[in-house]
Amino acid sequence: MSHPQRAAAFISDAERTTWHDETLWFVRQKRDKAVYGIPEFQQLRQLASDIKAHTLSRLDEYLEQFERNAQANGVTVHWAADAAEHNRIVLELIRKAGATSLVKSKSMLTEECHLNPYLVKNGIAVVDTDLGERIVQLREEAPSHLVLPAIHLKKEDVGETFHLHLGTPKGEKDPQQLTEAARQHLREKFLIGEVAITGVNFAVAETGAVVVCTNEGNADLGVNLARVHIACMGMEKLIPRTADLGVFTRLLARSATGQPVTTYTSHFARPAEGREMHIVIVDNGRTRQLGRPDFRNSLKCIRCGACMNTCPVYRRSGGHSYDFTVPGPIGAILSPNIDLHKHSSLPFASTLCGSCTDVCPVKIDIHAQLYKWRQLIGEQGELPATKKLGMKLLSSVLARPGIYRLGGKVAREGLRFLPHGLTHAQALNPWAKARELPAAPKQSFRDWYAAQVK
Amino acid sequence: MPSSRESILAAVRRNRPEATPLPPVADFDGAATVEQFTHWLHFIGGQVIHIDPAQPLEEVVRQLYPEALRVASDLLPATVPVDRHTPTAVLEAVDVAVLRGEIGVAENGAVWVPEANMLHRALPMISQHLALVLDHQSIVATMHQAYAAVQHTGSYGVFIAGPSKTADIEQSLVIGAHGARSLVVLLR
Repeated sequence: MSHPQRAAAFISDAERTTWHDETLWFVRQKRDKAVYGIPEFQQLRQLASDIKAHTLSRLDEYLEQFERNAQANGVTVHWAADAAEHNRIVLELIRKAGATSLVKSKSMLTEECHLNPYLVKNGIAVVDTDLGERIVQLREEAPSHLVLPAIHLKKEDVGETFHLHLGTPKGEKDPQQLTEAARQHLREKFLIGEVAITGVNFAVAETGAVVVCTNEGNADLGVNLARVHIACMGMEKLIPRTADLGVFTRLLARSATGQPVTTYTSHFARPAEGREMHIVIVDNGRTRQLGRPDFRNSLKCIRCGACMNTCPVYRRSGGHSYDFTVPGPIGAILSPNIDLHKHSSLPFASTLCGSCTDVCPVKIDIHAQLYKWRQLIGEQGELPATKKLGMKLLSSVLARPGIYRLGGKVAREGLRFLPHGLTHAQALNPWAKARELPAAPKQSFRDWYAAQVK
Repeated sequence: MPSSRESILAAVRRNRPEATPLPPVADFDGAATVEQFTHWLHFIGGQVIHIDPAQPLEEVVRQLYPEALRVASDLLPATVPVDRHTPTAVLEAVDVAVLRGEIGVAENGAVWVPEANMLHRALPMISQHLALVLDHQSIVATMHQAYAAVQHTGSYGVFIAGPSKTADIEQSLVIGAHGARSLVVLLR
């Protein structure tokens, strides 16, 4: 299925689509308010972009420095070339710990690697502890947004899910009550958790520390009660210095939700006495993306989600329509690197308005990359037949002024005389699905101009 | 077959872009005031209470949390002793933790709490309520100054900004997700 087909399913509920659209726009407005309060915000964006560019240009050196320092801290560092190896490493660590269950805080990387189904298949019970992630996990869905995993759901949906799985009263839909129920339910899991998995927001080369940002406190609660901490990170999370965290922590939450900072900004460097800490560094296509000059800037992404909140297509099509771990504009430039054929419709899920680029805290040229992926997708013959044919037809018309003029005349006359049911037939004219065609003008610009100069 | 470590590093060396310079450490001015700190902590759901250094801390805490039976702290006579070996079941029952904050950040209401101040790493999050005692002279303007003051983030340390919260259900803000249900900064 393509993005338009999946989006069609989402927008069939007009009321919900409008709600989704407005809610995400509200988050975008909160972001604006937070950003305008910081006079140096644009300088911070440039700094963040430059720090990331520098780090990528020496990524091998920083990875080695990070590994050295982490090892000196008593942390075991693992390297995974792809998702399968990452999953194998994590499973082995869990088995070595003698555990059959684990608590997991938010990690888009483990989503990308499809860790949960792999562990479940191998007899490990996985509990996602971020509230939104827990909700979608109970519903056996994927997160639909980077930082708001359950944004596609209404409180009634959550109420029903919790009634089914947590035994909340039927019809309970008060967010306060539902959150309290989740708090109680997940506390039990935290207390018995032997292994805790976290993602990583930033990895500091000069100290070997990993930084995890949450609002709920679930990462810290999980890690600090468990015997074994496994931190899973994409290799692009590196930054050189502790001081660079000043730049990124000022940008991340403001860009994501409009908060001045996340509630917990936690720095894990050394396991507590008698406990273990592991870091799994994952490539999974990132070195390939690093080798693509047009697309390597996408590796600067700090996963704030600002590009989704502002995107007119994402807001009206929902995260699931992208069918990729990272949805929205950033997902549309990351996914073709993973599987160009499967994700070939995503770079077209954009108006190229450039709003994503404008809000990106690390200045990724997202809309320019969307455009470049379109060229590659065309060159590799991955365009759908209708688009290919349409383009061919259009280019042959535009290349022949006579045919173009005739076509214009036919359309003008046709629109006036043909019945509405035919000109707006959805099968023939998908553009008219939710739109009216403009009234046909009496004459073309060319005719009008000719009459003026006479 | 080379290890994944070697093959990944080799691929990075092959594919990395031309070297670009590392920008100097960022430092921007800002207001390092109690007013700013208070404003932002309130904004994110926390509370600032000014205390008289002469008043015993246990009195302050008793007034603030009259119903708290189990108080963990190294700053006042605690009712629950907590150290790094305290079992989870004991930690879980703590009503209030009163800990020392090292640095306050005026631009966002965050307070730096290093491991040494936590008694147990899980205490600041597992306790139902959290109070952080902060010297008003330890307030800095921005995260830049905060990291400059911290220097090294140590074995484990957290910037805590307000109470635990979530907006994962329909973007409705709910205070008290998994961590502390309330956060008070006792400013002296």
